Amino acid sequence: MSIRNCALVILLGLPAALLLMFGPTNRHDIPNDRVVVRYWEKWSGVEGLAMKRIVDRFNATVGKTEHIWVDYSAISNVDQRTLIATAGGDPPDIAGLFDHVIAQFADQGALLELDDWVRRLGIREADFKPIWWNIGTYEGHLYALPSAPYTIALYYNRRLFRQAGLDPDHPPETIDELSRYSERLTRRDANGHIIQAGFIPAPALLGWWHWVWPYFFDARLWDGRHFTLDTPEGRRTYLWIAEQRAKLGIPAALAFEATAGAIEGTQNPFLSERLAMVFQGPWMSNWINTYTPDLDYAVAPFPSVTRERQNVFASSDVFAIPRGARHPGEAMRFLAYVLQQNVLEELCKAHCKLSPFRRVGEAFYNGHPNRFVRVFDRMAASPYAFGHPKMPMFKEASVEMLFLLENVLEGVRDPLEAVRITQKKIDAIVDRYERMSAKRRALQP
Amino acid sequence: MKVPQWIKGLLWTSPWWLGFIFFLAGPMAVSAYLSLCDYPLLQPPVFVGMDNYARLSTDPIFHKVLANTLIYAVFSIPLGTILAIALATLLNRNVRGQAIFRACIFVPTVVPVVAVAIVWMWMLNPQFGLVNQGLRQVGIDGPMWLASPGWAMTSLILVSVWIIGAPMVIYLAGLQDIPVSLYEAARLDGASRLGQFRHVTLPGLSPVILFNVVISIIAAWQVFALPFVMMKSSPGPDRSTYFYTMYLFDNAFRYLKMGYASAMAWIQFAIILALTGLVFAVSRRMVHYRGA
Repeated sequence: MSIRNCALVILLGLPAALLLMFGPTNRHDIPNDRVVVRYWEKWSGVEGLAMKRIVDRFNATVGKTEHIWVDYSAISNVDQRTLIATAGGDPPDIAGLFDHVIAQFADQGALLELDDWVRRLGIREADFKPIWWNIGTYEGHLYALPSAPYTIALYYNRRLFRQAGLDPDHPPETIDELSRYSERLTRRDANGHIIQAGFIPAPALLGWWHWVWPYFFDARLWDGRHFTLDTPEGRRTYLWIAEQRAKLGIPAALAFEATAGAIEGTQNPFLSERLAMVFQGPWMSNWINTYTPDLDYAVAPFPSVTRERQNVFASSDVFAIPRGARHPGEAMRFLAYVLQQNVLEELCKAHCKLSPFRRVGEAFYNGHPNRFVRVFDRMAASPYAFGHPKMPMFKEASVEMLFLLENVLEGVRDPLEAVRITQKKIDAIVDRYERMSAKRRALQP
Repeated sequence: MKVPQWIKGLLWTSPWWLGFIFFLAGPMAVSAYLSLCDYPLLQPPVFVGMDNYARLSTDPIFHKVLANTLIYAVFSIPLGTILAIALATLLNRNVRGQAIFRACIFVPTVVPVVAVAIVWMWMLNPQFGLVNQGLRQVGIDGPMWLASPGWAMTSLILVSVWIIGAPMVIYLAGLQDIPVSLYEAARLDGASRLGQFRHVTLPGLSPVILFNVVISIIAAWQVFALPFVMMKSSPGPDRSTYFYTMYLFDNAFRYLKMGYASAMAWIQFAIILALTGLVFAVSRRMVHYRGA
C-alpha cells in the first residue's frame, strides 16, 4: 500500500474508530432495574435546569424505590415533534406542551385522558385554582396538568406616569382610562415622530397574544361550537383599536413599532422607556432585573371595558401524556411527584411564574423573582379569567385573527368589514373541520 | 455457483435503488394518495377525491402565496443570474488578490441560511441596522424594510442575491472552459470587449446558464428558510412574504391538514416541472453545446 493510500485509510478510519469508541452509546448511567420514562420538555437554560433538578431528585429517591428513571430531554418545537412522534407510534411518555394545543391534540386523540389516573394517584382538582385545572380539560375530560401557569397583566412605568402628570398609584382600570392615559403618555418630536408611546396593541409589541383583545370587551370567542367574533363586543374591540390608531396616525405608529424593538429581548421598548404600558407576563421582571434594575414600574390587572368585570388572560405550560406512550403509569407516578405543592412551587418560582394551587404559602411569595407576584396570583382567581379558546382549529383561527389585527392597525380595511370577513373565514374553517370530523365518525366501525 | 451478472449489478446498486424506493418513490406515491384525502395525521385518512385541489383553486391565501412566490422567482432569478455572471467575469480576470476576492464572494454561501437571515434581520433593522445607518449618512431616511408590505419582499430578494457564491463558482468554471482561441479569433475579427462578451462568452456559457437557471427556478419555488427566519415564521405584513412552501408547511404541521399540504406539494411539483420544461423548450435555440 502506498503512503498516500495509508494516509487516506487513517484519515477515514480514525474518525470512524473514534466514533465507535467514544460516540453515542446506550446510556450507562441508567440503572438496569429501572423503567425509563421519556420526558420531552420545551424548557432549556435556567428553566430547563430547574426541571432537571427535580427530575434528578425524583430519580434518586422515589424513582429508586419504585424502579422508575425519568429521562429529561429539552426539545425545541416540542408540540410539533410530539405530534409527529405520536403519529409515528413512538411518542415520549410525558410531553411538556403549551396549553393552546390541548384542544387540537385531544380532539385528534393524541393525548391520554388523565381523569382516572389523577383519581388513582390522589391528585385533587380541589387543590388547584379552577382556571388552572380547567385549562387542561377538553369536552369534560382532563388531558393535561398545569406545570408553570401565568396571568398577563399591565406593566406600567411609574416615572413616565409622573412625568405625564398621572398618578402612579392609580393605573388605568377601564379601557377608556387606558385610552386616555395612553394619549397623555404619547410624546412626539418636532417632526411628529412618536418618541414615546402609551400603549399599543400591535403584534410587535405584544408577544403572542394578538387575538386576545375582544375578551377585554367582554367578548368570548368560542362557545364550544361557533366562533363568535362578529358580535357587538367584537366589533367594538376593533373599532377601539382603529380609533387608537387614528389618534397616533398610522404611518407614525408603524414607524414607531418598526423601530421600537421586539418585546422579547434587550431592545424591549418598555425597558428603554419608549413604551409606558405593556401587556406582559410575570417573567418580564426577570428581564427588568437583568437589564434595567432601576426601572420604576408597577403591575396592575389589565383594564377591561367595565370596572365591575375584570377579564384576565390566564395561560399555562402543561404536562400531558401522548397516546401510545409506553409507560403511562410510571409517567403519572412522576407527575404525581412533581405536582406536590412544594415541588411544583419550587419549579414555578424558578420560572418566575405563579403557583397553580388554591392556597399559596408565604414561602412561595417570599423571594419570588417578581415582586408583584401577588397581583398576578389574585388575577388568576377572577371569575372572568379566561384561557385560550378550546377550539381544535385554534391555530388556523389565530392566524386569521393576526391578519385581522394587522389589517386594522395598518388601515387596510374598515374595522367592521375586517371583522365580518374574518368571521366568515373562520366560520368556513370551523365548518369544514366539523364536516370532516362527522364524516370520520360515520366511517368508524 | 456463479451469480448472474444482473443480480450482481442489482446488489451493488441496491443502496441507491432501495433508497429510491423507500425514501422517494414510496413517499411520493403515498403523498399522491393523501392529496386525495383529508388526513389530520393522527386519524386515518378519509378519501375526498379532488376536493383538496378544488379548494385550493378558491383559496385566497393559496393565490397570495402563489403570487408572492412568482414575484420572488421573477425578480430573484434574473437578478441573481446577472450578478453571478458579472462577478464571475470580473473574478476571471487575472488581478492581484484574485483568490481573496473569490473567497469573499463565496463565503456567504457556506454560512448557514439561518445565520444569514439573522444577520440580515439586524442589518435591516430600521433604527439600529447598518443599512439605514448608512442611508442616514447620505441624508436618506431608510424604509422599514421587513415591516412594510411594500419593502418586505424587496428585502428578501436583495438578501437572496447575497448568497450567489455557488452559481458564481459554476459560472467561473464555465468561463474557464471557453477556449481562448475563440476570443483570439473574435479580436482578429475586430470584436470589441462587449462584442466578445456577447458573441463568445454568453454562447460559451449558455449551457451553464441553463443549468443555473433551472436550479434557481427549483430553489425559488421552494424558498422557505430565509423568509421563515427573517419574518419570525409569520406571513409578514399583509402576507407579503408568505411563500408557497411556508403555507404548505403551515398546513401540514400547524393545521394538521396533511391531505391539503400534499395536494399543494403536487401542484408545486407540476409548476416546477412545467417551468423547467418551458425553459428547456425556449432555450433550445439559445444554448450552444460545444461539439454539438
